[in-house]
Amino acid sequence: MIPAAVPPDAPAVSAALTETEVEVSSDFRGARIVLYGAVFDPGEAPVDVVVVVRGPEQTVRLVRKMRVAGVWLNSRPVVFEGAPGFYQASSTRALSRVADFGTLRRLGVGVDHLKIDAPEESRTETRYGIKDVVVSRLGEDYLDWRRAVIRLKERERLYSVDPKGVRFVDRGLFRAEVDLPADAPTGTYRTEVWLFQDGEPVSVRRRNLTVEKVGIERAVYEFAHRRPWLYGVVSVLVAALSGWAASRLFRRS
Amino acid sequence: MDIYLPIAEVSVNAPLLVALGAAVGFVSGLFGIGGGFLMAPVLVFMGVPPAVAVASQANHVVASSASSVIAYGRQRAVDYKMGAVMAAGGVVGAFLGVEFFRWLRLLGQADLVVSLSYLVFLGAVGALMLVESLHAVLRRRRGEPPRRPAERRPVWLYSLPFKQRFPRSRLYVSVIPPAALGALAGVLSAIMGVGGGFILVPAMVYLLRMRASVVVGTSLFQIIVTTAVTTVLQAGRNQTVDILLSGLLLFGGVVGAQLGARASGRFRADELRALLGLIVLLVGIQMGLSLFVPPAEPFAFAPGPAR
Repeated sequence: MIPAAVPPDAPAVSAALTETEVEVSSDFRGARIVLYGAVFDPGEAPVDVVVVVRGPEQTVRLVRKMRVAGVWLNSRPVVFEGAPGFYQASSTRALSRVADFGTLRRLGVGVDHLKIDAPEESRTETRYGIKDVVVSRLGEDYLDWRRAVIRLKERERLYSVDPKGVRFVDRGLFRAEVDLPADAPTGTYRTEVWLFQDGEPVSVRRRNLTVEKVGIERAVYEFAHRRPWLYGVVSVLVAALSGWAASRLFRRS
Repeated sequence: MDIYLPIAEVSVNAPLLVALGAAVGFVSGLFGIGGGFLMAPVLVFMGVPPAVAVASQANHVVASSASSVIAYGRQRAVDYKMGAVMAAGGVVGAFLGVEFFRWLRLLGQADLVVSLSYLVFLGAVGALMLVESLHAVLRRRRGEPPRRPAERRPVWLYSLPFKQRFPRSRLYVSVIPPAALGALAGVLSAIMGVGGGFILVPAMVYLLRMRASVVVGTSLFQIIVTTAVTTVLQAGRNQTVDILLSGLLLFGGVVGAQLGARASGRFRADELRALLGLIVLLVGIQMGLSLFVPPAEPFAFAPGPAR
């Protein structure tokens, strides 16, 4: 691959994953992938590196528990879009010190800056003479709901932020780890390696990572989704046969 | 030794699953129930999504029930005719139940209805069984003769049309009550992932007044048919049957069921019923508690399709 054409005096970043395909088989208990990268910086100004890993996007449905007559019930589900199935942001120091709020928001770096929203709940209207104001039916609780999506994902170890996750191991050479839990979704993961200088992004490298089921896991999953009815019949036959076999075995003994 | 389940998409401890299957299978063979009501809460606790737990254990119930029905059939303790009538109702119930469950998941109310069904059905049945069987045990201990079942059978039950003779059960009764019972078990099978034995066995004893010796075998026979249909429907409609999960469970389950069916001969019927009543009641209360305890986390992801 030919390196991107950059002026020789501009700082640049380069990175590679030690593994670009993660295979989910029966003994899969999560994976740790190491990312190595290098900073080419002719100047001496300090730099920051941020590594962002985003899993395939998933639509999630969230409910809130409410107390009705002493019993805790679920509210109606609210659909949130734009939540990646996995998100990890590692950096050389706290993101808030790497760049300002606006920059992070624009790049979507950091769990607070993910573009998660509930489009079905919102509509635009004209308020106080201002056109196209986005109003959510969730009202003032909207932020609580949005934060809950992130909190629940963090609890499942699917979202994480590590302000010390990127370490320089040698002059210009850095290293970061991607920790995939066992229930990480399958699909294509996009990795972005950002180089920041004085709070501004100066260079970026993008790498893809695929997580896919292999072997018997894949065969079973595809069978169950492509021929669901036949799969159901086979499951029942296996169950009935093993029940019969066990009773035969026990009669002899 | 952890194993990754392809449909549940979680990694669980395999020997633990086999042991769980064996324990539930033993209970199943001992009491003549599917035992699903014990397994669903444990699987969910282990991290399996509830929808996958309910659908996959229905398949496990097929295996352990098949294993014990053969054992009961050898002792001529299965009324196949009665079982077929109930199973016909069960198939209709399973269809309705799977569609109902799908709709509940869309509304985000699936776990509420599951908890409520556990609380109401298990709580009521468990309490009734416990009270009745403790009375019987006390009577026996005091040396009193067991209370004769009331000779007068419920009139409405025997005035219904479509009467049939069921020689093995020593009954001449309309097919409507057993078919309705089967349908109820079918609905519960889809919603709670249970065979419905915990409701069928008492209903067959107290409502239909079947001969006690054929009750357990017949209930297991109808459970096989109902749960087999539920498994196929759940796989076809919701893709929630994990064959690896049910395989591990039934590996232990079929063995446990055989041991359970053998052990059942060593206990007195009323003591067994008291024990079962107690277990059923405790599980019902435990599941129902979640409705009253303030949740630590007010938000939760709703399982099921996004739209």
